[in-house]
Amino acid sequence: MSPHLDQIAAQLLNTKSLPVSSTWLNNVVPSTARNAPVSALTQTALFRILASDFRESLSTSTASSLLPVDIFDPTVQERRLQGTIPVQVLDIEDIGSSLWSQVEAIERVERGETIRGREIIRTVSVEENSGQETDTTSRSTTAGAGENGSTGSQGPHRLILQDAAGTRAVAIELKQVNGIAVGKLPIGAKILLQSVAVALVENGEKGTIVVKGNRRSNLNRRWNSCVPKDAYV
Amino acid sequence: MPGSRILCVAEKPAIAKAVAQHLSGGSFQTISIRGNKYVKNYLFDFNFGDPWGICAVTMTSVLGHLTSLDFESQYRSWLSCPPGALFEAPVHISVDKDKTTIAKNIREQARGCKALFIWTDCDREGEHIGAEVRTQAKAGNPGIIIKRAKFSNTEKAHVLRAARGLIELDDLQANAVAARIELDLRIGAAFTRLQTLQLKHLSEELTEKIISYGSCQFPTLGFVVDRYLRVKKFKPENFWAIKVMHLRDEIKVDFLWKRVHLFDRAAVVVMLERCLLAKKAKVIKVNQKPTSKWRPLPLTTVDLQMMGSRYLRMDSQTIMKVAEQLYTKGFISYPRTETDQFDKGIDLKKLVEKQVPDQNWGHYAQDLLGGGFRTPRSGRHNDQAHPPIHPVCWVSPNTISADEKKVYEFVVRRFLACCSEDAKGQSTEIEILYGDEVFHAKGLIVLERNYLDVYVYDKWVSSQQLPTFEMGETFEPTEAKVVDGKTSPPNYLTEPELIGLMDANGIGTDATMAEHIAKIKDREYVAVHSRGSGRNSVKELIPTRLGIALVEGYDNVVAGLSDSISLSKPFLRKEMENHMRQICAGSKTRQQVVEESLDKYREVFIHTQRRINILKDACRKYLVEHATS
Repeated sequence: MSPHLDQIAAQLLNTKSLPVSSTWLNNVVPSTARNAPVSALTQTALFRILASDFRESLSTSTASSLLPVDIFDPTVQERRLQGTIPVQVLDIEDIGSSLWSQVEAIERVERGETIRGREIIRTVSVEENSGQETDTTSRSTTAGAGENGSTGSQGPHRLILQDAAGTRAVAIELKQVNGIAVGKLPIGAKILLQSVAVALVENGEKGTIVVKGNRRSNLNRRWNSCVPKDAYV
Repeated sequence: MPGSRILCVAEKPAIAKAVAQHLSGGSFQTISIRGNKYVKNYLFDFNFGDPWGICAVTMTSVLGHLTSLDFESQYRSWLSCPPGALFEAPVHISVDKDKTTIAKNIREQARGCKALFIWTDCDREGEHIGAEVRTQAKAGNPGIIIKRAKFSNTEKAHVLRAARGLIELDDLQANAVAARIELDLRIGAAFTRLQTLQLKHLSEELTEKIISYGSCQFPTLGFVVDRYLRVKKFKPENFWAIKVMHLRDEIKVDFLWKRVHLFDRAAVVVMLERCLLAKKAKVIKVNQKPTSKWRPLPLTTVDLQMMGSRYLRMDSQTIMKVAEQLYTKGFISYPRTETDQFDKGIDLKKLVEKQVPDQNWGHYAQDLLGGGFRTPRSGRHNDQAHPPIHPVCWVSPNTISADEKKVYEFVVRRFLACCSEDAKGQSTEIEILYGDEVFHAKGLIVLERNYLDVYVYDKWVSSQQLPTFEMGETFEPTEAKVVDGKTSPPNYLTEPELIGLMDANGIGTDATMAEHIAKIKDREYVAVHSRGSGRNSVKELIPTRLGIALVEGYDNVVAGLSDSISLSKPFLRKEMENHMRQICAGSKTRQQVVEESLDKYREVFIHTQRRINILKDACRKYLVEHATS
């Protein structure tokens, strides 16, 4: 590998916590362009990584940037993962509202009812509501929940995440994370897990990961708040 | 000797009589008119003040609208023209056959009169009826001066004030009604003919039927069908929640989860485990504060219909009819109003005082006068025509019918509640952090019931008393567990809800909503079913197969077309109602509005004609295939 590529790989690791695979990098950065400035090439490589499958583009040689192999170990009640782990999103689901209310929300969008002036009010409170008495915390158990489907899901969300080695884990959004919402976070999106915790559910039949820590998105947006996450597999 | 002769015309005979009684002081001459047994002429003298002085008055009335709009005779037969031609076919106004004698009476009476004072109800329709009366009077006496009396109830002092403060007829409002009448005629006739002719061969039950279309009826039906399908398609789903209970001072305090519930059992179990792992919960919020339940706003028509059909067990149309009777008899103010704020000038205490003789709430009224009186809250609506609905005078319950008694009682209790103090209480809210999860418990103690004593329709009761929790203290909750449940479908639409939906979506004016609901029942597009039994039974609206077929058909007709709106949706009608308001405000002319609205509906009409098979398919699906299954 040329020194150029080494520099690019080092920079990606240091600034973006992405341990890029040298074989992959070699294929991606065309030999004709290797005289271009390192910073420009790094940018190009970053964009390619974000559009890639982590299982191909990232190296699996550093254990600290992978989910632990024994993530499902039933004897560990809860532990914290050290290091920064890049993962990709395989699935996202809103577990805060019923599937049926989500289907209804999609249908409303399809019928064009989210366009301004085309909204239909479908539920009214016949009970006299004196404003200050409304209990904002009670979520309707009927299908009326999630009426404002267009503004993104409320969560919490359950995600299926995958690391560079192909290990999959189910993550649960314990505290609201900006950017995680159905419709906002696409399948294939990349996430960095920092200092997350793994927990266990039900005698290890299913392992559980509680993810806790700072995360950074692939777009380099920093999630500053502490983001505990729960996950089971 | 009185100077000039004056003709006064009211909207209904009962109002004419009530006004005549007040103006004449009780002595007037009654003369029957030929050909109509309801309308009478009342003769008396009255001093209208400057510039009229003492006048000889003839007080008479019409019976609602005098005239109607119809197509020229060559377009009237159903097969005389393609239905689409009705968007342009010439129309003309003529006096209704059964009203010709009334019109003639006005023309004749106008002849000897210097002026015509119009006493129709003060709303849009009343303004239009006033314009119709004016036309007849001018035909009899082209030089007659036209004035209008502005009143909102038939209480004596109010009527006398109106008679001495005459204003002009508002032509803008009359024009808005004229536009609405033309649009309803053209659009209604075109679609009714199209769908009746096209669908009649599909099924035996349709051959003899007129499948009517109305631009308000259909969106109203749309709401009923929409809810019905939502109920039918509903799939229950399991959910799980964490419930925390703590026993303190022998009180079981239930803490509710801030997340309410989640649809993933494993996630909930993980969260519970983390709570248990944390062992101790920490009190993060103790909020004890005085709270109040606000007294209701002054009563509007929509509220009367919604609350009425909910608490009085009467349908909205009956309530409106009864309220109308009470108004005509002079017991309550005009029941068609959007206003939920009392004018500053109105003497509310005097109105409260009138209720003192009552056996049930007289004592309460007395207490209000003794210092409990509060100025009512003001809502955000004011139609600039009528005050909120309120009792005008006290009536002995023995002299009115059972239904009238119920509606009257509601109006009075609501009015007294408006003039009362809010109910006061003390609320306590405790929030705990347990693991990473937040739970809360709420307590309420009602300290002063105030308006609740008279407004028996509102409920506000104390909950259990919460034991003391200190901010920041930690404790180990007695119990924490996962509980499960299932989502439940929404209920079928009830009438008060439908009125609420129509109001929120801008369908119909407050005064006409009840009529539209009655219409779709009449047309057998919806049926009324009772759920539950006895006092707790609820009347629900369920669409018939024809009702569902029409809504689905029209939805399918426009499906996939850009910016074409199904007739089952409220938008086109809502736009039309907005246009009416613009005419009233003077920002659009009647002509503009008629043309714009016709263009919109014509577009949907053309699509419907082109894709008529889609509509037929929907009807076949529900009326032929489902009928046999």
